[in-house]
Amino acid sequence: MPTVTIDGQKVRIKKGLTVLDAAKKAGIWIPTLCYHPAVASEASCRLCMVELDRGDWRQLITACNYPVRQDIVVYVSSERAEKARRGVMELLLARAPESRELAALACRMGVEKTHYPSVTESQRNCILCGLCVSVCEQVIGRAAIGFAGRGAERTVAAPFRQASEDCIGCGACAAVCPVGTIKIRLHKDEREIEISPFKSRAKMVLCERCGMPMYSGQVSREAMSKVKIGRKAFTEYLRLCPKCRRTETAERFASVPVRRE
Amino acid sequence: MNTAAAKFAAPADIEAFSQAVRGKIRADSKVVRVCIGTGCAAKGSRKIYELFRQAAEQSMDDVKIEAKCVGCHGFCERGPIVVVEPGEILYQRVEEPDVAEIFRETVLGGRVIERLLYEDSATGTRASKAEEIPFYAVQKRIVLENNGRIDPARITDYIAQGGYSALAKVLSSMTPEDVIAEVEASGLRGRGGGGFPTARKWRSCREAKGKPKYVVCNGDEGDPGAFMDRSIMEGNPHSVIEGMLIGAYAIGSEQGYIYVRNEYPLAVEHLGTAISQAREMGLLGKNILGGTLSFDIEINRGGGAFVCGESTALMASLEGRAGVPRAKYIHTVESGLRNKPTNLNNVETWANIPAIINRGGRWFADIGTKNSKGTKVFSLVGNVRNTGLVEVPMGITLRRIIDEIGGGVRDGKRFKAVQTGGPSGGCIPAEHLDTRVDFDELTKLGSMMGSGGMIVMDEDTCMVRVAKYFTEFLQKESCGKCTPCREGLAQMLHILGRITDGEGQVGDIVRLEELADLLEGTALCALGKTAANPVLSTIRYFRDEYDAHIRDRHCPAKECRGLFRYEIDEEACKACGICLKACPVDAITGEKKVPHVIDQDKCTLCGTCWEKCPFTAVMKV
Repeated sequence: MPTVTIDGQKVRIKKGLTVLDAAKKAGIWIPTLCYHPAVASEASCRLCMVELDRGDWRQLITACNYPVRQDIVVYVSSERAEKARRGVMELLLARAPESRELAALACRMGVEKTHYPSVTESQRNCILCGLCVSVCEQVIGRAAIGFAGRGAERTVAAPFRQASEDCIGCGACAAVCPVGTIKIRLHKDEREIEISPFKSRAKMVLCERCGMPMYSGQVSREAMSKVKIGRKAFTEYLRLCPKCRRTETAERFASVPVRRE
Repeated sequence: MNTAAAKFAAPADIEAFSQAVRGKIRADSKVVRVCIGTGCAAKGSRKIYELFRQAAEQSMDDVKIEAKCVGCHGFCERGPIVVVEPGEILYQRVEEPDVAEIFRETVLGGRVIERLLYEDSATGTRASKAEEIPFYAVQKRIVLENNGRIDPARITDYIAQGGYSALAKVLSSMTPEDVIAEVEASGLRGRGGGGFPTARKWRSCREAKGKPKYVVCNGDEGDPGAFMDRSIMEGNPHSVIEGMLIGAYAIGSEQGYIYVRNEYPLAVEHLGTAISQAREMGLLGKNILGGTLSFDIEINRGGGAFVCGESTALMASLEGRAGVPRAKYIHTVESGLRNKPTNLNNVETWANIPAIINRGGRWFADIGTKNSKGTKVFSLVGNVRNTGLVEVPMGITLRRIIDEIGGGVRDGKRFKAVQTGGPSGGCIPAEHLDTRVDFDELTKLGSMMGSGGMIVMDEDTCMVRVAKYFTEFLQKESCGKCTPCREGLAQMLHILGRITDGEGQVGDIVRLEELADLLEGTALCALGKTAANPVLSTIRYFRDEYDAHIRDRHCPAKECRGLFRYEIDEEACKACGICLKACPVDAITGEKKVPHVIDQDKCTLCGTCWEKCPFTAVMKV
């Protein structure tokens, strides 16, 4: 097992794991945005820059995807590494000035404001980290969204920027979005769930008892095909909303004749 | 050996075939070579070729006359180029009406037509052969040696000139290790921009675990003003294929790809023809020349993204995905195309290989400087008299390239800077013109070798605008994946735009330098890491121009609209009234015999008066 020396602290980790893994083990925080353990690291946000000691020079590397193959020495809190991370964060703040999540992360890094004006905005408050795209493709297996355009024009979108038929309305993209840009909207009247800003909608399953919209019908079908639970029992379980399930269970108990000693 | 429809079964067959083809050429045969490279073709050389072909067909049988299409001669400024053998008489700026005269006088009569020869503007002497023209005399042609001599669509022509003899040599007498050692001895470094030692790359790929292994040719040349690789692919496609075959043998690969821009239709066509001819003759496919090497090549056409010249983006594109780079902490020689060991070299690198094998690594290493061996092809463009494609030994000075080969700055203007290395390169000022051109020297100056673009700029060029132009190009071509490149370039462009609009702020230079530092350190791929070079190098050498824009709201080169005024020179003004009538906002007053005056409050700086004045009395100040 190679040893990673981070800011003087030594940790041993499995070969092939990343500098970020080593930092986590050492209890050293490195800010990240486009990193998520569920998907492959693209290292697109460039926020997790740290310095790698190359002997006669030091190289800035991204901690989230730099594979540890031998003993290495890295610096997280060196002046250059911190300056690089701050610089990247300032660029991101200029792009997504309204994101509270981003501002909170910046604050934790000690970046209070950006020196840059807002000059790019192809998609409101999106920092183009790509986690939504990766999770949809690699975890959900749908690839309903992808990147469109190039450079400053790059956006995340469903094909032709139309509502996508491949979207099952699972909301995984919204769950992983680190800046709160992707939102789930419920349209109760139409019994539909919408993933904003992609416009994709999915029909929802209603609670059989109270009629409350619960979850996307396609999600439950997908889940059925993946989860190894007795199918019948599982279907039964998904029929009602949690509230009605409690009520029904209580009623069932109440209807059972009380056994007397 | 039969010279038609041969299929080679052994390495020795190639030499036999080459001799047979050459043996068929009669001593009295005459050849008219017409350049159909893109530059000459744009000036109508295809039609000229057609006329020569018809003339040759109709001529008497007692002399054998052949009209031949050949690739780029490099002297694009003077195209269309026609060369007549014997005598190697080079005619320039040939037009359709000249064909009959050339055919009658030179081809049949053996007489030289003076007016079509190159004339040295300084001495007035005319040159009948290429080597007598300074443009060619200073060059040393290895890669481009056969460009302009062979018909790129005929494999027999290539073989007759010694083509595929390097492959035969490799397959008959060298082990893969020998090949790598020979390339190592040559000191060849990658010609695509990075300058990585080719042999070291080959060896890493050979030693990498995993099968299959791929060899890839990077023909996604996209630098503004660059056409080196284009001309090689168009004019001598077999040299690239032969290089790749030798590389495949050395590395242990059975499949190759040529990634070529779809905007290069002639290159795609000629490569396609070359590959199918090589297959027919048994030079691609299974058990090549009866040995153990099996190798084939597929062409992949790029979709027009500059970033696809970056190795990982190119491989993503080859895989059918969007051309977006990825981190290279694990090198592509270990895990590249389809996560298999992949060796990517540039067109010019591959085209150098046959010569290195044939003449030996040491011969190649004798050319050039300590750490940069051989020659380099540059496309010399911009405000220079002789634009074109030039191949020079490493270590030649920039001054010799620009003054001797390029004939100096055109229109009698003063030289200001030369931009090398493409959009990621830098601008080199006059005081460094005696720098020797090699990988390390250019890097020291804040520029780079790059793939070989060389843009000469005269005194009328605003260096801030130049920086802005390249930044804009890179910002448009950035894939947008990583934050610093996407956002940082947009911020830089914003600042540069403000400076050229006369709204620069104190501190803008520092801001640009900070962004440049951030980009260099944190961008994902080489495009972003080097994107600030044009800005940094212009700040380094032309800081006074930035200062003039920001502090004095003045553009010293008088290119930035709004940062200079138009005035009429009283002495030069003939009071003709042309500017007065042309001015769209009636800002010019004056009458007959009274010099005209521009009302600066009314003037919108459109420049119409400056363009229209027949006496150059309107000045930019």
